[in-house]
Amino acid sequence: MSTAESAEIFDRGYRAYDGPRTGVQSSMRAVFVATVQRALGLRRKFRYKIVPLATILIAYVPALVFLGITALLPSEIAGQVVAEYAGYFELITVMMLLLTAFVVPEVMGSDRKTGLFGLYMASPLSRWSYLGAKFVGVMAVLSLVTTMPSVFQMAGYSLLGIGPDGFVEILKTLFKIVVSGLILSIFFALFGMAASTLTNRHLFASAGIVMTTIATTGFTEAIIENTDSPAWVELFSVFQVPLELIVRVWGSSDEFPGITGVSTIASFGAWAGACVLFAGIILFGYRRMEVTK
Amino acid sequence: MDLVNTTTAEAPSPPSPSSVISAVAVSKSWGTNQVFSDVTAEVPPGITGLLGSNGSGKTTLLGMLLALHEPDSGQLRVLGQDPADAGPELRMHIGYAPEHHNLPDDVLAQDLVRHIAMVHGLPRREATTRSSDALWLVGLGEERARPIGTMSTGQRQRVKLAQAIAHGPKLALLDEPTDGLDPVQRDDMLALIRRIGTEFDIHVVLSSHLLEEVERIADNVVILANGKVRAAGPIDQLYQGQGGMTVVLDDGVTDVANTLQRAGYVAEVDRNTIRIGTDEPLEQLANAIRDAVVEHGAPLRRLDASRQSLEDLFLDEVYGS
Repeated sequence: MSTAESAEIFDRGYRAYDGPRTGVQSSMRAVFVATVQRALGLRRKFRYKIVPLATILIAYVPALVFLGITALLPSEIAGQVVAEYAGYFELITVMMLLLTAFVVPEVMGSDRKTGLFGLYMASPLSRWSYLGAKFVGVMAVLSLVTTMPSVFQMAGYSLLGIGPDGFVEILKTLFKIVVSGLILSIFFALFGMAASTLTNRHLFASAGIVMTTIATTGFTEAIIENTDSPAWVELFSVFQVPLELIVRVWGSSDEFPGITGVSTIASFGAWAGACVLFAGIILFGYRRMEVTK
Repeated sequence: MDLVNTTTAEAPSPPSPSSVISAVAVSKSWGTNQVFSDVTAEVPPGITGLLGSNGSGKTTLLGMLLALHEPDSGQLRVLGQDPADAGPELRMHIGYAPEHHNLPDDVLAQDLVRHIAMVHGLPRREATTRSSDALWLVGLGEERARPIGTMSTGQRQRVKLAQAIAHGPKLALLDEPTDGLDPVQRDDMLALIRRIGTEFDIHVVLSSHLLEEVERIADNVVILANGKVRAAGPIDQLYQGQGGMTVVLDDGVTDVANTLQRAGYVAEVDRNTIRIGTDEPLEQLANAIRDAVVEHGAPLRRLDASRQSLEDLFLDEVYGS
């Protein structure tokens, strides 16, 4: 039975705070969590969840189909139908592009449009720690499309007895999947963030991301087909740059030969150069951004 | 007028340890535009009104207090720390409510306030409790689960105030906190700010272009104009030396005025009214008037103390008498 001596007042109302405060890393973690939540439409109305969740689920459909085919059809036929790991990354790149175009402008532009960026800058965060938290948040969301479907695919193949042989092979395959996922995620996260730095308008940024990808891909393909241009011209395609590096990770095959005549160093250089360019746009844009109004 | 703790100093004295904010010979420019030039000022504890016309440097000053901009030269200290050295650590103890009304429309008030508290370093549980407490304090306890987009301007202003104080700052920077409010809401908001500044150990810097509201709730004032702090210090001290008295006599007006002028006062005569200005405490002037009236046997009809409003003070400092 409770007594008067044991009674406590829990609701004391607003009062001064002298308790513990965590550091900048916790501030970054809070921004990271908010970024993931906003990107996926969590704690928001249902309509905000439709596009990100549908895009992510669709990215897993090929893996499910391949696993079904492998389980149901004879291995000779299944082997001709299902995609290799490198090919899977090519299959999901469209989903990747859609997710980038939808999610990144939402999590970057809305902070500036709603004044939240100013509130962040008045906190322990700096522009760079803020951008770091945003980048990791965007990467985490994009990884749901770039990395997890292939992990799911590998797990399924292993259960069906056609996965990597032995623990070491599993680790090797997993490592390649993670590296490939990072290549795609880093590239598209920076690409999306750079586009979102240039405008506060969600629609403009999304359109810019899609149009730049389509335009560079179409333009480079047209040049290659209609002129005697060297093969490295393809490295100017936003689509091709990360995929080409992923082919190098898995090794070229008949199905995915990669661009002949372009070295791995050149492929990496194109990817890294594009990433540096995108990062430069982001850093330059945010360095000049006004925050106290 | 004599300025209190302000402006250019050939040999700046070190900042007082009791000051919430102190600036010693601070200069700042954007390109060729000199925003501040060799400014020295101190802001004591309490509620301080930051007054200035457009382009006077209020925004830049707030940015410098938040360590978002560094001074080109001079020494700036906020809560005893140099913002340039202790930026993130310092901002952990500062709350900021911006001027704009934009907030994320689809976010619940309690989610935003809790999030900003967590960004300021509060553990999640504390942030949750305190965001609720802060929203109750500003009068939005029942509305805390509403999306901000469905709230009125007055409620949004309260959300901004709640997010600025939820993490228990030592200093709250409030940029135009009554902007867009009707007179009743403005009164409520001013009372709330006064309460925050007096009951919870939070020093408040209130940026406003409405002199009357600063006069009502602030203990101290900083007047900015043309890149300089034109006046700063406790409002009461600034008023000292800005006062005067008005005497209405039935007879003997000239005699009394001459006696006061001989005593060193500036006395202006208008028919049977004498207006006397002084830099001294009013009690001293009242005694001089009493003596002069007695000396000439002048029949006294009325004696009023006249004090300048903050608006007079502001106009006087910025544009001259």
